[in-house]
Formats: sequence, C-alpha cells, structure tokens
Amino acid sequence: MDTSSPSAFVNGALLRRFIGQKVRTVIQVTGSEIGSVVGKSTDDLQIVVRGSSPPSPLTTYLEVIGIAESDNAIRAETWTNFGNTFDTQNYNELCKLANGEFKHLFI
Amino acid sequence: MEVSLTAGAIGKIMSGEVTTEADMIPVLQVTELKQLKAYQDPTRERFRMGLSDGTHLHQGMLATDLNDLVKQGTLQFGSIVRLTHFGVHVVQTRRIVIVRELEVIKSNSDIIGRSVPGGKHNDQRVADSGVKLNTTGSEQRGSGVSQVNNIETGRSNAAISPQVDQRPVFGTGSSVPASTTPSTRVDSNPSAGHGVPRLDHARDPPTSYPRQPQPPPPMYANRGPVARNEASPRIIPINALSPYSGRWTIKARVTNKAALKQYSNPRGEGKVFNFDLLDADGGEIRVTCFNAVADQFFDQIVVGNLYLISRGSLRPAQKNFNHLPNDYEIMLDNASTIKQCYEEDAAIPRQQFHFCTIGDIESMENNSIIDVIGIVSSISPTVTITRKNGTATPKRSLQLMDMSGRSVEVTMWGNFCNAEGQMLQNLCDSGGFPVLAVKAGRISEFNGKAVSTIGSSQLFIDPDFVEAHKLKDWFEREGKSVPCISLSREFSGSGRVDVRKTISQIKDEKLGTSEKPDWITVSATIIYMKVENFCYTACPIMNGDRPCSKKVTANGDGTWRCEKCDKSVDECDYRYILQLQIQDHTDLTWVTAFQEAGEEIMGISAKDLYYVKYEHNDEEKFEDIIHKVAFTKYIFKLKVKEETFSDEQRVKATVVKVDKLNYSSDTRTILDAIDKLKTGDGSSLSINIKPEGSHYNADAVNTGTGSSGTRDPSSVQRRDFGLHAHQSGQSGNHYSSGSRPHGGDATTTSCNVCGNSGHVSANCPSSTTEPQGQYMGGSYRGTSGSYGGGIPRQHVGSY
Repeated sequence: MDTSSPSAFVNGALLRRFIGQKVRTVIQVTGSEIGSVVGKSTDDLQIVVRGSSPPSPLTTYLEVIGIAESDNAIRAETWTNFGNTFDTQNYNELCKLANGEFKHLFI
Repeated sequence: MEVSLTAGAIGKIMSGEVTTEADMIPVLQVTELKQLKAYQDPTRERFRMGLSDGTHLHQGMLATDLNDLVKQGTLQFGSIVRLTHFGVHVVQTRRIVIVRELEVIKSNSDIIGRSVPGGKHNDQRVADSGVKLNTTGSEQRGSGVSQVNNIETGRSNAAISPQVDQRPVFGTGSSVPASTTPSTRVDSNPSAGHGVPRLDHARDPPTSYPRQPQPPPPMYANRGPVARNEASPRIIPINALSPYSGRWTIKARVTNKAALKQYSNPRGEGKVFNFDLLDADGGEIRVTCFNAVADQFFDQIVVGNLYLISRGSLRPAQKNFNHLPNDYEIMLDNASTIKQCYEEDAAIPRQQFHFCTIGDIESMENNSIIDVIGIVSSISPTVTITRKNGTATPKRSLQLMDMSGRSVEVTMWGNFCNAEGQMLQNLCDSGGFPVLAVKAGRISEFNGKAVSTIGSSQLFIDPDFVEAHKLKDWFEREGKSVPCISLSREFSGSGRVDVRKTISQIKDEKLGTSEKPDWITVSATIIYMKVENFCYTACPIMNGDRPCSKKVTANGDGTWRCEKCDKSVDECDYRYILQLQIQDHTDLTWVTAFQEAGEEIMGISAKDLYYVKYEHNDEEKFEDIIHKVAFTKYIFKLKVKEETFSDEQRVKATVVKVDKLNYSSDTRTILDAIDKLKTGDGSSLSINIKPEGSHYNADAVNTGTGSSGTRDPSSVQRRDFGLHAHQSGQSGNHYSSGSRPHGGDATTTSCNVCGNSGHVSANCPSSTTEPQGQYMGGSYRGTSGSYGGGIPRQHVGSY
C-alpha cells in the first residue's frame, strides 16, 4: 500500500487546517458542472471541488482526495463514488477524532 | 472509692418511669449472678443478674456479648455497675431489663443495703413455649427471688402446688419467660415441661421446638390442680405475640388461605396448610397447621371471616415462604382453639397492603416481595411456556402503570392466568382500564424489572381501596395521556442486554465460568469453518412447539430412531452444527452455531447443503458455498459457558443469533464506546503490552442496571468499577492508567504523562516517546483514583 502521501480526513471545518496539504473528504453532491462539483460536507459546510474527471454518473455521496486550496475548496486528484446512502454523522466523528485525540494514529 | 448506687432506680424501672438509658443511667450493684444454660443452644450461656439499687432488687439479663466480663471476673457478685445501654421491655405487664452495655465501676464490693425484690410481684407465672436464646427482646425475668434457683433445673413445681409464686419452668433456662396473665393456670402449653424434673426431658417440650413438623403430643394433660381459665381470654394484638407470650388469644381476620399440601421429608409424610391473619392493629401473622391439626381446622377456616385463636405456639417466621411483616409465625396444635366470631368487627380490615409505587420497584432488590397497585394498561393472552423439564405452564403478562409515571410488566403464572387473568382480559378488551392490586408479588430482573406472581400472591381486580380510587381518578384525569416509562423491556427473543465484548475478553474476564452462562455480543469475522460434520441427523418430532432435535441414530433399514421421544421416524431432519472459528481485532475463538444461526450464515438450509454434498456429490457447488462464508463479518450473540469434558474445563461458546453487520450502527456503537473512554478517565492511553489486552470496555456492562439507559459519565464510572472488580489478568498493566478523575468532563483531555490537561500523553511536551500505533481506544482502566502522572508503560524520565 502506498503510504507516501497520506491524506488527512477532513470535514468542512477542518479543511482550513490543511490548506496546501493532501486531504480527503466525503461530500454530499449538491450540484455539478464541468470541471467542478459542489457539495455539502459532513458538517454541513459548502465545499467546492475542482478537478478533472469526476466520475459520471455521480452518486449522492462522493469521496474526493486532493490538495486543499482554501478553506472551502479542494483540487481533487481522486474521486470515488460512495453510493447513495452514507452515514455522515459517523464520518464526521471520524474526522474529529482523527484530527484530534487520535491524530497520532493517522498521520 | 465510695460509689453510691442510684437510689430508687429499681423502683423507677419497675414503675415504668425508666425504660432505657435515655431516661437514666443508673448505678446498681449485682447482688446475684447466675449462669443459665440454654438447652436449645448449649454453647451459649446467659447470665442473669440481680440488680440492686440498695433498696430494691430486680432481675436483669446480660446480653451475650458481655458474657466475657463475667468469665473474666470483671463482673461478679457484688460488682457495682453502671448501665450504659439497657432496655426495659414490657411483655404482658412484666418488665424485663436487658442490659446491653454496662460499665463495671467496681468489680468487688460488699453488698450495699438490703434489697428486696422490688417492683411488680408477679404471682402468676405461665410457662411459655418456644424459648429462644436469641430473642432477647422478649426475655422476661420475673421477680421473686425465691424461685430463682429453680430456673436452671428446669423443674416445674407447678405440679406440686398451684402456688402462683412458683416459677414456671422451662427447659431452656436462658430466659425464663414468665408472663403474667390473669389466668391462674400455670402453664398454657406443654412446653413448660411440667412435672418433669429432668433437664433433658424438659428440653424437649412439645411446642417449644417448632421446627418439628409434627407437634409432639402434649405432655400435660390436666396435670396439677390448677384451674384453667377458659373464660374471657385476653385478646392481644398480633404484634405483641412472641414465643414468650403466655396464654394468648388473638382476634383476627383470615386474609389468605393456602391449599392443603401433602409433603414427605426424611421424617415422614404429612400434610400442612397455612393461613394468614390480620388484626385490628394491622398486625399480620401466618398460621401453620400440620397433619391432624390441619385436618381439624382446614375446613373451618374461611377467608374473610373473623376468628379467635388461642393457644398456638410461636416460632420464627420462615422468610422464604412467609412474606408477612412479622418475625414469628404461629403453629397450631391439638390444644389450640379456633373460634369463629360471628359479629363483624369493622376495626379489622379485610386485607392489608403495603403498596409501593412502580417507581420504587426500579430500585428494589431482585426477588423481594412487594405489594403493588396500578392501572392495567395492556394485557396479553395466555401463552404456554415449556420449561426445560418439559412441564408446560401458562403465563400471562400485563403492563401496570401508576402515578409515578412508570409502568412495569406483571407476569401471572398458573392459575392466575385463567382466573384473574381472563377477567382482566375481558375488562381490557371492552375498553376498560381496571385497577389491579397485587399482594406478595416478587420482583424479578427479567427484562429490566418485572413483577411476577408466586404461590402465595393474591390479585385483586378493581378493589375497593382508597388507593384504587385515587388511581382511577388520576388515570381519568391525566394518566391516560401520560407517557409511561416502562421498567420492563419488551420481550425480545433472547431478552438479553446487548453486552458488547471483544473476543479477548472471553478469556480475560473468564466469561462463562460462573454458574450461569454469559451472554455477550461480539462483532467478528468468520475465518474458518469445519467442513466435516456440518450437520447432524435430527429428530423431527414436535415437542410442544419445537421439534425435538435430538440426534437420531440410523436403524439400518432407512428409518431413524430417537432416544428421547422413543420413536422411529422415516425421514430425519438435518440440522446445522457448525464449528466456526471467528476472529476480531483482539483474538479468535471457536464457536458452535446451530440450526437457526447456521442457516443465516450459510444462506442455505442444512438439508439442502447436505444434499448438495452427499446426495448430489456436487463438490464444486459445495466448495463455493463454503468459501462464501469465510471472511464474512457478523454480529454474533454468543452464549458462553464453561463445560466439563472428561476432567477438563472448557469454555464453550454457542452462537445464539447472527446478525449482519450494519456498519453504520456498529460505528455508532464504537463511537459511543470511544466517548465513554474519554469521559471515563480522560484520554486513557494505557497501552497493553500483551497483544490481547487492548480491549475496550463494553457499553452496557452491567445488565441489570441499565434500565433507564442513561449514560451519564458518573454512572459510567461506577459501572466501570464494577467491571474492574472482576476483570482479571490485565491487572499487571493497569495500574495507573493514570486517570485523572474526570468526573464527567467529556471535553477536556488530560495527559497521562504530565497530568496537565489540554493534550494527551502522546502529544505531551514532556514525553519523548512515540505513540505506538496500537489501538488506543482500549484502555484498561485501573482504579479510578487520581494517579497524577502515572503512565502505563514508558517510563519517560520527566515525571
């Protein structure tokens, strides 16, 4: 497994801590255009994801891994459809724990 | 030093002015000291003292814990003592002084004054039965110096002369119960051992050994020229009854009558029945009759009638069976009389209850007996429960609610289902909400708290009590709409609380080794399944509503024989008996899954699978199915129990239920567990060196307490401590999982290393260690205390 560039689990609020770094998050897709997808993060903040080749068709939930550009934008390198059902609350908790108390377990 | 005795103390005691040390702490002299032997308990001696205040003398009994004073000689004849803790008990006009604590002021002294037996002279003595050494409260000492000497010998002089100033004698010298009664008869029951000079004979007076199932024949038969006063017996309240009561009579109403039961025990066979009495003062007592006496009175006793009962013997109540609030129970014998009172006595209630609210039930102990009253909110039809031994019992349950806003499940067994149960069902079906009062229901911890009926329970529907009316009013006004929190959970298939554990905990906590099996839930993956013998041939004969399922053996001719049902069948069932190895992040173990769970796991019925393999010999398909099973993750509900296999104890786990893992809810569970970890002891980072050690504490560890389901941190802590009490093994490491007493602060984290808050030990500036990648969630919390800075493993020099 390639662990050379680990990505931090983020939600909307945590994104700003990793500007310029590789992050991953799951968003609920609210709209998509050519070259960008707009979605709601698991803590209900708006995130814009720019990048080439978002998968189509898009399912409701989408995971993106890429570099954080600002506190609400990501330049995605990898996109993965996560399906139409997803437990956002759990993911949110995960993000909080992974960057808080249990940070040492992750990166 | 000159010590003076408290003048007039004895007089005051006798007159009732002084009853305990709160009234006066007298200084008295011991003018007599005699040791009495209790025949019933020869190892204990009792000392009787004559206490004098210089002018009067009275007898007192020394509490057995003070016996040493006498033995050592500190307390002796002539000692001057100060009574620091004593009580004067009045039993039927006699006063007995029981000394519980005293101070010996002077061990040896000359007798001061000339004291005469003071106080009440009880001329009459009546011998009583059932003398027990330990019932100090009712010991009596009569005055009458002259008779003192007779006590020990157990002689009764009654036969010699009717003089009333003879003391009655009792075989058990420990307390010489002597109660005055107006009657001139010396002895009301044979236990006096009248006319029996020998100690050992007197030791076995008929009714004083109530433990015997059969009342021994009365020893006296109109002996002695004493006149028995039959007329106008004094009625005493039930609460005043004691083994030392003389001839007593009570007037009471029968509140409950049990059936005539036959029994046989090593002493022989017999029959017995009992009934409960209630009198005007609210005293209750149970009356038991054996054999001939039972026959004699059984038909006479009718529930609800008033009776005058006299001349029974008293013995301590058997709390297992007798739930009345009385320390004694009455045993009737041939000499007892029961007379019905035909005139009504409104003072004596029909039934007496000590209701508790349903809210109280929650905090009460399991198996306690209570009375409860409430509105029946729902009732379900009778079901037949088959017990393991095959007997089928009807059971009916209903929900009872009351003003405390709680409801509880009341379970009726046996006859109650048909009789009261049906009536209640009818009432409820027609839209009513009847009031139900339960007397003597037992609290059980089945599905939270529930109340169930026992043999001696009584159910009253829509009774005419104040409480019933109050309930009905409340219900009309608000009760209907008030949501009731149920203390009893819905009856789910297994009825167990979901105790989440990890597989390593099975070994660590030695689950299954106690008497009862442990039911736990684990989330694990099947890693291997034994392919041979995945099923067995089973008996399909229905036993009630379940098939017998015992293994059948082939008869050779194509039929199968079941030993249990003792029949042969042509076609047998195939039932799964899967041996699976399951693993979670902590450990792995073997479990056995039977039919229901097996089908769930395999996805195909046992019979079909059997056919695939053996009949069709379709190896490929078989392998396919088997492979699909491996590495599937499920939530397993396991029953863990230690069993003995030819000298070896092995803990076996059986799969009771299998559920597909719902990632979402499982994650929530884990999140909760993580939360709990945090609130429990800060961020505990005790790393367990042993690989199996890191496990997280389960959610609801204590099954019994979780009825309200609150998870406030303080309760979490409590529960955890309970958990620790029986967690073994790990204690080596867990020491100080350095928890800072967090007391419920879920947000701040404290560092184990330096004890400061705001960071965890991994981030601690003073620590140079690297956090290890182990599952930190597992913290074995040691004891709670505040071990400031004790860190589990690495001993980094800084603290």
